[in-house]
Amino acid sequence: MLIPAIWMASLVYASELTLLSIGFTLTYLTAKIPNFAHGTYAGIGIYVSYTFSKIWGLSPYLGFPIAFILGGIISVIIYVLVIGVLQRLGGGAIVLTISTLAIQIFLTAGIQIYAFWLRAKFGTYALLFLLKDFDFRIAGFPGIFVVSMILTVVCVVILHYMLTRTKIGIAMRSTAEDPELASVLGININSIQLFSWFLTGGMACLAGAMIPLWFMSTPTTGAMIITSIMAGSLLGGFENVYGAVIGGIVVGISEIMLTTWGQALLGAWVGEYRPLIPMFFLVAVLLIEPRGLQGAWERMVASDTGQSILKSIGLLKEEPVT
Amino acid sequence: MIQEIALGLLTSGVAVGGASRLIVDIAMYFGLFVIVAMALNFQYGNAGIPNMGCAVQVIIGGFTVSAITTRLILTLVGNAGVELLPWTSDYDWVYNNPSNVAIVNTWLSGEPLFGISMLLFTLAVSLVLGAIIGWIIALPAIRLRATYLMIVLITMADASQIFGRNIVWISGGTLGLFIPDIFKWYPGDRTIVMAIITLLIGLISFFIFRTMLNSPYGRLMRAIRENEVTVGSVGKNVVGIRRNILMFASGITAISGSLLAFYFSYVVEANYQRALWTYWPWLMLILGGPGNNAGTFLGCALVIAVRRVIIVEKWFLQEVFFFPVAYFEQILLGVLLIAVIMFRPNGLIPEKLLYIPGVNYRKLVDEEAIVDWRGAPKARGVSSGISGIFRTLGGKKEEAGD
Repeated sequence: MLIPAIWMASLVYASELTLLSIGFTLTYLTAKIPNFAHGTYAGIGIYVSYTFSKIWGLSPYLGFPIAFILGGIISVIIYVLVIGVLQRLGGGAIVLTISTLAIQIFLTAGIQIYAFWLRAKFGTYALLFLLKDFDFRIAGFPGIFVVSMILTVVCVVILHYMLTRTKIGIAMRSTAEDPELASVLGININSIQLFSWFLTGGMACLAGAMIPLWFMSTPTTGAMIITSIMAGSLLGGFENVYGAVIGGIVVGISEIMLTTWGQALLGAWVGEYRPLIPMFFLVAVLLIEPRGLQGAWERMVASDTGQSILKSIGLLKEEPVT
Repeated sequence: MIQEIALGLLTSGVAVGGASRLIVDIAMYFGLFVIVAMALNFQYGNAGIPNMGCAVQVIIGGFTVSAITTRLILTLVGNAGVELLPWTSDYDWVYNNPSNVAIVNTWLSGEPLFGISMLLFTLAVSLVLGAIIGWIIALPAIRLRATYLMIVLITMADASQIFGRNIVWISGGTLGLFIPDIFKWYPGDRTIVMAIITLLIGLISFFIFRTMLNSPYGRLMRAIRENEVTVGSVGKNVVGIRRNILMFASGITAISGSLLAFYFSYVVEANYQRALWTYWPWLMLILGGPGNNAGTFLGCALVIAVRRVIIVEKWFLQEVFFFPVAYFEQILLGVLLIAVIMFRPNGLIPEKLLYIPGVNYRKLVDEEAIVDWRGAPKARGVSSGISGIFRTLGGKKEEAGD
């Protein structure tokens, strides 16, 4: 079976973006703020992979669990030191969002400094790199193509199982729904928050650790990818984890495929405008349906024609209770 | 030092250097950033619009100078009979730009009126274009939650830089574009003139903003910041007012971009980075205290002084660090922003009570509100409710007073 390299690239990118979008949405659900530092966690993951492969000479895949734990710890530290404190002091959504921007600036500068430290200590060029050489091949495919898709599917399935079947997942959902009511029912909101921040940071860092195995990476890759993450999350409705899965896949695939097709049709200059594609998604979603796919779904279920369309596709089985 | 600056201002062919140069530089940047930060204070501090897209508005000012004013000057100078190299195609526009600007500069040295009229023209055009871009960037998300607006505006800043980098006729792409020196006729140091003009424009915009904030419109803005539902319920068009505020502030912000272009005599998109023109003004605003122009001035002065000193003295600092000093600056920005938000959420100078001409507002707030309800028309079931509310309000005030 032969898959064009461009499709492989877009699938790898889409699976990474899906992981990141899910995390972004989970943060938005639990903390009610868009976390601009979310992309920078991926930047940390990128340098975990770099350290494992170029500095220690190991396989970058060994760094994945480390990246997950490191990202989770950094995320928890951020929550404990900044976000949680500000929430307790009564900062509004705007103040909290500005603080995440400040964290993003801080973390990006930290990654840059780490890259320069690597250059000073080990004499490697850590400012622009690609780790494709450290990849292995599975049945003729590049390892990362298989691994990234499997990891994303596994993460989504585990998350779905956790959110619907386990006690901690249900506690997370109730905390997102109404924190005060959840605390009345005996749920420890603080530990739930800590757990969800650990989870989102870990998943973002894991996704970031996969990026340099296929894509060119720089210290600012993590800061740049945040637009795509927000586009994917917004397309899914910002408050729906399953929507974020669809949004991440759609934005990830279209970002690479549209750029490639545009370059084939119109010329090489289209490549420069790649960051405009997630921006286009953002603006289009906000103009057409600010609540994204979730809002579109609810609107369709609410109307008769929408219900008949959904039934003819087979997405809607029973009569919804109105 | 002051004599030196004055000497540079007046005498011909002398460019100030050393510490005087640093002071002129700080004054120029203070003027530029105070305009941006005051406009931001107008939007966020008083109307509650979190404008994270200041960089878009500033870059529009720069593009106005490079794409419109430079073209106009070249056309007018060509019509005046001066031989210019071809500049109409994209390639010639960038390649012949330095020679053309040199030719135009020699012609401009005898035309003070032309230079000043070009400056005024640029300011007017950038004001209008800034307002238009404010309308455009407000379009997707001004009706929605504030966080959506922040997301859209932040991404817009990147988009504007991408356009500037790739569309050559705007600002020469990555190479940048030289700008004709409209103060060529002036014998002294041009940068000092630019700094003085910038400070003057900052002062004028301060008075404009102050007047607007103390007018009924300013009170309306603060009411929207406090509770937009209430303002909407008394029949005010909240979305329209927000859009007007954003457009007005965008126009003012764009002026600072034009002034920066004239100061450098050069426009390149890399001068208008998101971090520089959005995050630093936000730090100034939050450090000084949102909703308060005096605080904005203080925050701006502090931040600009520290930043310019770091940049100018970076060769001495560089010996201490193994990484470029720019990243130290970013860490400083991040840490300061978080520290100010945490420890001084109201800034160095907290917001003062409103000033309303003819009304002693403080007395109104401090006094117990005594309302005589006996004369009021009776409505069944409602009057007791209202008086009940007033009783609870009074009770709360007493608690707060104690």
